[in-house]
Amino acid sequence: MSETEKTPSSSAAKSAALLPEPVFTEGPWVLLPHRAWPTEMWASPWKLPRYRRGAMMLAGLLLLGTGAALLIGEIAPWADMLHARLMLAMATFGLPPPAVMCVWGALQIALLIGIFILAPVVIVWWERKISAHIQSRFGPMRTGGFHGWLQTAADGLKLLLKENITPQHADSWVHRLAPAVALVPALVAFAPVSFGQELSAADIDIGTLYIFAMTGVSVLGIMMAGWASANKYSLLGGLRSAAQLVSYELPRTFAVVPVLMFAGSLNLSQIVAAQQGYWGEGYGFALLPRWFIFYPVVGQLSFIIFLIASIAETNRTPFDIPEAESELVSGFHTEYSGIKFSLFFMAEYGAMLLSCLLMASFFLGGGSAPLPFLRFIPSWAWFLSKAVVLVFCFLWFRWTFPRMRVDRLMDFCWKFLLPWSFANIAFAGLYLLL
Amino acid sequence: MTNERVTAQILAQFPQLEKDPSPVKDYPTLRLPDAASLLPVISHLKDSLGFSYLDMVTAVDWKGPVDPAGYVREERAHPFQAKPAAAAAAKPLPGAPYRDAFTLVYALSRFANPLKIFLKLDVPREQPRAASLARIFRTADWQEREVFDLFGIFFDGHPDLRRILTLESLQGHPLRKDYAHAEDRFDR
Amino acid sequence: MNTAPAPSRSELKTDQLFVNLGPQHPSTHGVLRVGLTIEGEIIVKAEPDIGYLHRGIEKLCETRSYGQCIVLSDRLDYCSAMTNNLAFCLAAEKLLGVHAPQRADALRVAMCELQRIASHLILLGTYGIDIGAFTPFLYAFREREMVMDLFEMVSGARLTYNYIRIGGVRADVDAQWVARTREFLEYFKPRLDEYDTLLSYNPIFIDRTRGVGVISAEKAADYGLSGPNLRASGPAYDARRAEPHCGYEKYPFDVITAESGDCWDRYHCRVREMRQSVRILEAVLDGLPGGEILAKVPKIVKPAPGESYAHVEGARGDLGVYLVSDGGPNPFRAHVRAPSFLNLSILQEIFLGQRMADAIAILGSLDIVLGEVDR
Repeated sequence: MSETEKTPSSSAAKSAALLPEPVFTEGPWVLLPHRAWPTEMWASPWKLPRYRRGAMMLAGLLLLGTGAALLIGEIAPWADMLHARLMLAMATFGLPPPAVMCVWGALQIALLIGIFILAPVVIVWWERKISAHIQSRFGPMRTGGFHGWLQTAADGLKLLLKENITPQHADSWVHRLAPAVALVPALVAFAPVSFGQELSAADIDIGTLYIFAMTGVSVLGIMMAGWASANKYSLLGGLRSAAQLVSYELPRTFAVVPVLMFAGSLNLSQIVAAQQGYWGEGYGFALLPRWFIFYPVVGQLSFIIFLIASIAETNRTPFDIPEAESELVSGFHTEYSGIKFSLFFMAEYGAMLLSCLLMASFFLGGGSAPLPFLRFIPSWAWFLSKAVVLVFCFLWFRWTFPRMRVDRLMDFCWKFLLPWSFANIAFAGLYLLL
Repeated sequence: MTNERVTAQILAQFPQLEKDPSPVKDYPTLRLPDAASLLPVISHLKDSLGFSYLDMVTAVDWKGPVDPAGYVREERAHPFQAKPAAAAAAKPLPGAPYRDAFTLVYALSRFANPLKIFLKLDVPREQPRAASLARIFRTADWQEREVFDLFGIFFDGHPDLRRILTLESLQGHPLRKDYAHAEDRFDR
Repeated sequence: MNTAPAPSRSELKTDQLFVNLGPQHPSTHGVLRVGLTIEGEIIVKAEPDIGYLHRGIEKLCETRSYGQCIVLSDRLDYCSAMTNNLAFCLAAEKLLGVHAPQRADALRVAMCELQRIASHLILLGTYGIDIGAFTPFLYAFREREMVMDLFEMVSGARLTYNYIRIGGVRADVDAQWVARTREFLEYFKPRLDEYDTLLSYNPIFIDRTRGVGVISAEKAADYGLSGPNLRASGPAYDARRAEPHCGYEKYPFDVITAESGDCWDRYHCRVREMRQSVRILEAVLDGLPGGEILAKVPKIVKPAPGESYAHVEGARGDLGVYLVSDGGPNPFRAHVRAPSFLNLSILQEIFLGQRMADAIAILGSLDIVLGEVDR
């Protein structure tokens, strides 16, 4: 093996003698460090011990969760006893019943706010883990020890401590109010959602209408954010987002109309109650639960339209044009930092959780168990697990599908979803006649 | 159609052309006698002989070996190496065909019966001008802008002749052999 | 920068916005600035502005020896360094009049085809991200890591290899490398089907790229496009078939073409080219000849005065190197016919009338690397 020319440093090395002459050997230039050659690793991840350990941990976690649910299910009836005792105690102290209701209402509201604050924390962590595993990597692993479960808390703390920058040319009051206007309606819309018997913060008769009205108000917050940032890109993002959100509200609402027709009420608790029971019970064996999703054609169509419209309403991929990083560099929340940015985030994930809870209430029977013998698991555990499965679908779709173009998105809404939702209402009417 | 047949055909059509004395190795190379014959020859090659693909437009400055003193500064020498012998002003080599001119080199290709042919045109170093091929081949647009940027050859008939790779504020044409860098705001 | 507004298309008095795409932008694949004048969502004027990565490689080559220039050629199209080396070395070998031995030729072909797979994997991943699908990027780079491991084994480097030298290649491969390459090929073939399922035939992806940025065959040839950009519009021009070098005539492979010349076709041509590269690699590994890997070349390379041009089929297109020698140890003139430079020039025409989201899709489908555009 001959060299093409002398190495340029050889003459300099003889005089300076600073670096030793490199030794060239035959054969492979570099020996790879000893580790699994990737083909074995990725052909079957089960060969790796860490994957097996992870699977066992997950199985253990599920068992633990079921055990805890059983345990808490035993304690839940005591909540009624607590309520009764509280009423009694307050009556003996001479407080009028409205005061007791205020205290109990305050407890319910605290529960709601707790869920609303905790949900994004958990969902963001879960999204990072799901996206990582879809993309053959691990996600957060260190923060807090077990698979980085404290990562979101750490990120939230970091955002809290960051400087709140307001751009010089921005309309400062609008800029400051926008995150609040986006967040508060999403929080308030949680009120009628019933987590179980007696566990809804506001069991109002127009629950459904109230929820859709409130989620519509948060569109205003997004437009304010786009306008107040004094940035061409943010403005474009805000306008696109507003157009998208307002358009997709229509199929969403119309997809729920058959549900309202079947249930006969706008009250969420009554909608859930209308889905109790099982088909085939009259004949002795329970075949299917009476969930609205199982109603032929109408149920499935409503569910799919509501699901797609909800994904569009929460700005998730494949409808995340307002946040499209590779095109508009973060869209309407480009100019936000610190706590204001995290408020937008919480609004988005809160709205996502709300959509999943609504889907569970409208179509999947709320707290009812799929089969009679599973009724020992308490109703709120069923409710949350149905919502969690739907949240998983939301997160899954984000990392699987590419993004739709803006005009195709609008076409899809107005020329496809909306006509089908009208047809769906017609089918529901037909079903009720027969 | 082989190289020889195509070359013979072109020479028959344009007798003032000649085979280049120092051809590009393994490719037929023709030398254009003057700037006026560029456009007719190229048009004929494209329309009649099927050379519909312009591969390359470039230039060579034949003045002499490159003079690095114009743009290499010594105070940036590596601190651990001996000072390099004053930026070796290269000696002109015997046997090298130096002359005071640029040579524009064009390469044209054909898809059917693949063949590539090179054309060369000498352009004087004072006031260098040539006809632009941008109306015939749209790929010549950017390539001629690059030649203008790096050599200073002006192309008549080019739609938008301005610098493409270097800064608009750069003075001089870098790939000329006698390029000397004029100090600008980036030199602090 | 030209800020004069272009004539408006409609009679309505609409405002035109001047927006800079780049030079810092997640989608411009390097430092490229395109000055867009948009009316609403439609682009009415597009002006690419290049030169942010201009390092003067052609001028640098004039003061360095031929061996040192090979190192510079690595940095041209840094996503496809082996083919850059090969083009330069072929041109220098033509000047010297030497031929590489057969084993070196086979190794050169193997390295170039592996490099083509690695480079097309980059396109697959980054194009997915441009369109909005984040996951194929990580799958593509997982495969690319293995190719870079193979390159590290032979040359010691992961991106700029300096492996193909004048007269042959730098180091030999052993049985372990051949075995690992075969393992990689066996592992990689089903992955190509996975990419097709995940990205190529995804309805949303097809919706974003079908019928977008159509380039006709005449326009492609007129603008000097090459590589998959040209072949997706029709003409079956591949430098490996037109002027075979390094023994390409011995290996069986198809020249991939398509008819419509839109973004999806350009993207899918590259995916199918990866399959052909796998075919070539298997043929090379099956018939790897023995012998030397470097021909007898003088220690100081001083070719006689003359000129040469060598072109290879790089991952981006037809990469050519034009070398002029005056008898000295340094090249008198080295010019690189960069495919990405010519592919990029079609942008000023193809962007007109497109929406901004489509503009990103078109730019991604041209697969440019700014190192080559700016040299």
